[in-house]
Amino acid sequence: MAQEQKPPEAPTVTYTVKAGHASNPQMMEVHAAQGDLKPWDLDSKLRVVKGRHPRLDGRFKVTGRAKYTYDINLPGMLWGKMVRSAVPAGQILKIDTSKAEALPGVKAVWTSDARAVRFAGQDVAAVAAVSPEVAEDAARLIQVTYDEAPFVTDLEKAMADDAPLVYEADKVPAPKDVPHKGNVVGPKPPGRGGSRGDVEKGFADAAVTVQATYSVPTHTHSPLETHGVVAKWDGDQLTVWASTQGVFTVRDGMAEALGIDRKNVNVITEHMGGGFGSKLAPSASGTAFAVVACKLAKQAGAPVKLMLDRHEEHLCTGNAPSALMTVKIGAARDGTFTALHYRSFGSAGIAGGAGTGGPAGSLHGKNPNLKIEEHDVFTNAGPAAPLRAPGHPQGAFALESAVDEMADRLGLDPLEVRRKNEASPVRLIQYDVGAKAIGWERRNKKPGEGTGPRKRGIGMANGNWYVIARGSGVGAEVRIHRDGSIEYFSGAQDLGTGFRTAMAMVVAEELGVRTTDVKPNVGDSRWPEGPGSGGSNTTNSVAPAVRLAAHDARMKLFAVAAPMLGAKAEDLDAADGKIFVAASPGKSVAFKLAAAKMPGETIVAVAERKKQFETYRQDLAGCQFAEVEVDTQTGQVRVLKVVAVNDCGFPINMLTTESQIIGAMIQGVSWALFENRVLDRNVGTMVNPNLESYKVLLSKDMFEAVPIVTEIANAGNNTSAAGIGEPCIVPTLGAVANAVFNATGARVRTLPITPDRVLAALAEARRS
Amino acid sequence: MAHPPENDEDEGGRGVSRRTFLKTAGVGAAASSLAGVAIPAAGATVLGPGAVPLTLKVNGAARTVNVEPRVTLLRALRNHLDLTGAKEICDRGACGGCTVLLDGEPIASCLMLAADAEGHEITTVEGLGTPDAMSPVQAAFVEADALQCGFCTPGFVVSSTALLRKNANPSLEEVKDGLAGNICRCGTYSRVFEAVQKAAKASARPAARRG
Repeated sequence: MAQEQKPPEAPTVTYTVKAGHASNPQMMEVHAAQGDLKPWDLDSKLRVVKGRHPRLDGRFKVTGRAKYTYDINLPGMLWGKMVRSAVPAGQILKIDTSKAEALPGVKAVWTSDARAVRFAGQDVAAVAAVSPEVAEDAARLIQVTYDEAPFVTDLEKAMADDAPLVYEADKVPAPKDVPHKGNVVGPKPPGRGGSRGDVEKGFADAAVTVQATYSVPTHTHSPLETHGVVAKWDGDQLTVWASTQGVFTVRDGMAEALGIDRKNVNVITEHMGGGFGSKLAPSASGTAFAVVACKLAKQAGAPVKLMLDRHEEHLCTGNAPSALMTVKIGAARDGTFTALHYRSFGSAGIAGGAGTGGPAGSLHGKNPNLKIEEHDVFTNAGPAAPLRAPGHPQGAFALESAVDEMADRLGLDPLEVRRKNEASPVRLIQYDVGAKAIGWERRNKKPGEGTGPRKRGIGMANGNWYVIARGSGVGAEVRIHRDGSIEYFSGAQDLGTGFRTAMAMVVAEELGVRTTDVKPNVGDSRWPEGPGSGGSNTTNSVAPAVRLAAHDARMKLFAVAAPMLGAKAEDLDAADGKIFVAASPGKSVAFKLAAAKMPGETIVAVAERKKQFETYRQDLAGCQFAEVEVDTQTGQVRVLKVVAVNDCGFPINMLTTESQIIGAMIQGVSWALFENRVLDRNVGTMVNPNLESYKVLLSKDMFEAVPIVTEIANAGNNTSAAGIGEPCIVPTLGAVANAVFNATGARVRTLPITPDRVLAALAEARRS
Repeated sequence: MAHPPENDEDEGGRGVSRRTFLKTAGVGAAASSLAGVAIPAAGATVLGPGAVPLTLKVNGAARTVNVEPRVTLLRALRNHLDLTGAKEICDRGACGGCTVLLDGEPIASCLMLAADAEGHEITTVEGLGTPDAMSPVQAAFVEADALQCGFCTPGFVVSSTALLRKNANPSLEEVKDGLAGNICRCGTYSRVFEAVQKAAKASARPAARRG
């Protein structure tokens, strides 16, 4: 019998890193892959990184010159338009496309092979025509005959024993080891954080127990650029301009669906108009529109642009699942938790993945006894897709409301209760920073104690996220040309996060030049592979590869400059457009002069990201504080101010990092007060599939937004960067809800916090 | 096709939409039949049904397009003149993404027929500045990072420009009022407000004044 072979340990290099927060540094050893660089840490003298730089693509965006997928106009291009199921459940009996095909200007028609309908908005047919107007006419001429079946769209109705089944028992898309009954799947195995200890014992030990149930409706992503592609064939070569968060996901998805090689598919996403998680799939969660567009283009022998309209965008491109969450907390009189039981049901429509237990699994880490149970409930509605920290803002709303209720019951300061149970040294710092910025001492010591009809209040809540990075299969390329100009290439996409500018800053840091000296090239599958932008992983997956490539280019240029300075390459440094001897900066040569001496025409440096190594913290801490004013006569809530204190490791570009945090606060307040996808339970279609009755926050609702970044040298990769897009939206909903309670003494447990709910909560508070 | 106009796209994607009705009505310029049949008013000029040549004065230049009379100004700009700065985001005047200036006034170009824009001065975001010569408003947007994905940005830039032309020194509340019709989904409002007030200050300095 052959001796068991252990895979050889990859050689590593050990670095000592000054990690953590400047106020509480911690020396730690990390084991990076051979050839990786020492991570930037608290001792690094960074000239560009962590500074504030306006985005490099800004001038193209503000002048209308930036070309999004939606803006691509090609010669001879046709316009695609899809037909979607008008009924929520049943069978398609017939799709009659004859009238559409007969319409002048129609060049291609596609029909779906699928016959089972499970939600209103499913792909049924599509056309490509010479203009969008003709395509819309043609789509309306397609006649679909259905055998309609009973359906259910409400979460709680779908949980009933006699509810219509969204899936037949043998077709339920659930893991084999998870129980399911009717439309309900679960309890699922706990995700990150999981369960621990013995909650029964913990509740028995508790002096006080609180339990409440909270609910959040379905939200839609509503990116302003809808999902869409332009598909163009040149022989067997396919080019797809895609509004996507995953250039390479689209490439691989199209290759697989169309049965062609990945090498023959080129995907381009130079600019894209928002995704928030909905654009991570090759097409989208509830439609195969991109594949359909490629097929229409092939059939017509012409490029096809197929952009979904606003109505379709709400129906079939994903949403954040609804959630019904019951939280039970046991605590000692001093606020120390003895047990926490978190139980949630949620509907991701016809899909799974409605869990909201993440915050319960990660926050209040000193609590010894924790049980998390999550359930998915199928409804006849479009499948969900990840939406900005999937399940976490919802779960944190429930959990942090319950913590607030516990503090109120105990007569304790809600912030003190959190401090008692806090396991993260980062969040302990954030509590002080946030409390100071909002003026925590101004809150009502007794909730609702303010006088007059308009009452103000201050509340806070925690949030968590994780360090998620792709540790392999991510590349970057940096080129220095003989004329001294510099560019970098990453196939990964910039969703509007400022990714392209942040990567240019990393290159500028290594090469000692200005950020504006670096031309960014991103969003093209011909360039080095990058991850899909999910989990807040883009910067911390790609930046380490960009730094390695830039460092390689730097050392190649130093080899050219060394003889010019009579020094060794390893003794050189670069800053302010000069290469100089580190020990005597007076001995220098201009970057451009050194470049002019390079042996060829271009220095090409390509690097692959190396493995993730030890981090200071694997969780990303955050807490937010909100101040609101509630009109107790009308029930109207106005958010006056939100202070967000969030950790993202090292922010590469402080300016755009703050912008993302501000954006998350705005989206979070929008969910807390306004957003609500409404399905008509009698006909199963969406009542508000637009942007005026699917209410989102507008300028008149805007509050004072204060973003505060807690800079943490997090190690984990050579830049110490983590992610920010998602963690900063997790606390917002709970902070607003707790502020409403502090203002009024009335608890609203259902989002959005609309005037009718505020008035009902006030009436209930008066009764009790 | 005699569906009543309340049989909207939003109620299942069947039948004639309100927009189609509007566009159909626009063919006759004065039709108002509930049955959705265009009946031209006496003396009205009937255009179409096929493509007709229109002359649009866009960013100071006369441009000819050949479009069906039902084509909106927005689609004429985007699909026939390749001026893609203005965006079709909601297609019903709710989001401000398609804002252009018509004789200096901000309008939703998705709610106007191209044919009705003849004879008017149209200014799009492209006409306000170029990447190498940005207007004060555009430059302030970049400096303040008043954009993320940037898809709503052209609409905000045009609305902000219109606001500052009427009120050179708006208060924060006046800025909020001026931008009340523009939706941003990434969440840039506060930085947009900052940019508009910066641009107001920049324009107040004579050296920075531009046409």
